[in-house]
Amino acid sequence: MADKILKKEDLAKLIASVTGKGGRFVAPTTAARQIVFKKVSKAEEIAPDYILARNSFKEFLFPQTEVIAEFTVCKDTVDMRGVEVEAPETVVFGARPCEAASLAGMRALFTWDFVDEFFTKRDDNTVVITVGCTKGDEACFCTSVNLSPESTEGADVYMRETEDGGYAVQALTDKGKKFVAAHAAVFSEGSAKARALFMPEKVPGVDLKKISERLKDKSHYDNPVWKKLAMKCIGCGACTFVCPTCRCFDITDEGTAFEGERRKNWDSCQYDSFTLHASGHNPREHQPQRWRNRFMCKFNFYPEKFNSKGCVGCGRCIRVCPVRLDITDVMQEFSK
Amino acid sequence: MAIMNNIYLPQLVTIEEIRDEAPDVRSFKLVFKDPRLREGFDFKTGQFALYSAFGLGESTFCIASSPTKKGYIQCTFRRSGRVTGGLSQLSVGDTMGFRGPYGNSFPIEEWKGKNIVFVAGGIGLPPVRSVIWNVLDNKADYGNITIVYGAKTVADLVYKDELKAWDEMDGVTLVQTVDPGGETPDWKGKVGFVPTVLEEAAPAAANTVAVTCGPPIMIKFVLNALLKLGFDENSVYTTLENKMKCGVGKCGRCNVGDVYVCKEGPVYTAAEIKRMYNDF
Repeated sequence: MADKILKKEDLAKLIASVTGKGGRFVAPTTAARQIVFKKVSKAEEIAPDYILARNSFKEFLFPQTEVIAEFTVCKDTVDMRGVEVEAPETVVFGARPCEAASLAGMRALFTWDFVDEFFTKRDDNTVVITVGCTKGDEACFCTSVNLSPESTEGADVYMRETEDGGYAVQALTDKGKKFVAAHAAVFSEGSAKARALFMPEKVPGVDLKKISERLKDKSHYDNPVWKKLAMKCIGCGACTFVCPTCRCFDITDEGTAFEGERRKNWDSCQYDSFTLHASGHNPREHQPQRWRNRFMCKFNFYPEKFNSKGCVGCGRCIRVCPVRLDITDVMQEFSK
Repeated sequence: MAIMNNIYLPQLVTIEEIRDEAPDVRSFKLVFKDPRLREGFDFKTGQFALYSAFGLGESTFCIASSPTKKGYIQCTFRRSGRVTGGLSQLSVGDTMGFRGPYGNSFPIEEWKGKNIVFVAGGIGLPPVRSVIWNVLDNKADYGNITIVYGAKTVADLVYKDELKAWDEMDGVTLVQTVDPGGETPDWKGKVGFVPTVLEEAAPAAANTVAVTCGPPIMIKFVLNALLKLGFDENSVYTTLENKMKCGVGKCGRCNVGDVYVCKEGPVYTAAEIKRMYNDF
């Protein structure tokens, strides 16, 4: 049930209303001939007709690189300074229902006993507006992981494109309702006919319950599928960087021996150095082990440990893979 | 603006003493700069921490001293990578970072009245040493103590002074070994790999718990040897020292299958290890 209407011509006003209050407005835009989430200042910058952005919006909550501390080595001590997280009021507009569903898992992990405020403070200040998909491609498989273009998991506001180029608006969370109230002048009353949604076909034979059961049984460790996959995999890690639920990182110092900063940088479980001990021992020495870890993280760790989705079916990993590895093939294999 | 709670921000510690244990292996005695922590810092035996060399990053090691020794902590590390290389450059009086304590611990309270067998290899002794001193400092609470310790060569044995002290203690049996070829002409200990020497020493399993740490391959064989000697898999403990960056369950690399070593370890029983993936 839509509460409000956002007319086509009023999108510019919404952006102005958000940025006028000092907020940043993030939306899919075109850069280097690709659709990417970026900060925008004008409605014309928003990609008019896109399936989904190449990057997920996770980088606005969990940046690729961020300073977590600064230090200066002095004569008798070290001056260690914590930093304040930059968490501007942010509106993510035009997220897809699949990627928004990644937030539950990210939130569970970043607050697992120890609260990572670099994530939570940004999350607290971010309003996620999803727009139901009217277009898709062969890589989309949200319907195979219990999601759809109508899913509202993780969304503060859910919108549907309307036939006249505007949006039907539904505020879902308190944050979403406050957002719509705060920019009330931009939204209109009324109704408009929504455009038809694109429903991806289900991947034949995929059964999440079966996958979960199979992964609990350790005999899958020797499944030849891991080796088969890894024969092709070049370990580039691209799948993990574009994945909305991947959140592994490295902590590293940059600067000179006397002055520098400690940073949290995105990392990937697909790299051999990720788990390599200084002794030379590596628990996940071979690519099949690393592929297995990635799949288990999505279909075993996230659901079992954090009661959330590790895979949201956005298909980014399929689109970006340089050797055309397809995670749905593995899902099929483990649904047998 | 409210100051954020930064879980990645280390405490500062001063290096009060440096001891060379073996080639490339060094121990630091560390004292917190913050006077409140110097008095109040508390941890349990088996817990680990992240130690930083500023400009190079953080590395994970156990706290090698016992909680019974107050006012300072010790760590022992082998110079093998970027951070440990940087730490090796530091001198007495220098400052480094400390983040911890993290993880679970050895349930030594439950072991009261029991004999304890410690089995360690090479640089696996530091975490075990914390437990050894914790137990020895409350010796009346425990039965007989057996320590089986081996290294590649005689020179590679760490805590040489302490090995001597343990050897001379009443109620403590120390069995030392070096790998074949690692002995010297005046070596009085055994020659052989730790799991084999342990089986020969054959400590009684009745009313006894065992604690082991060493290279992953040694741990696997020692666990088997202990089970062969009749130890109950719930009375055998080990600590897994996987690579970690955050120490608090976020960064994603220390997991063995679905088990996050930093949050759900590093201390496990042999029974728990058996339920885990053979992936460490």
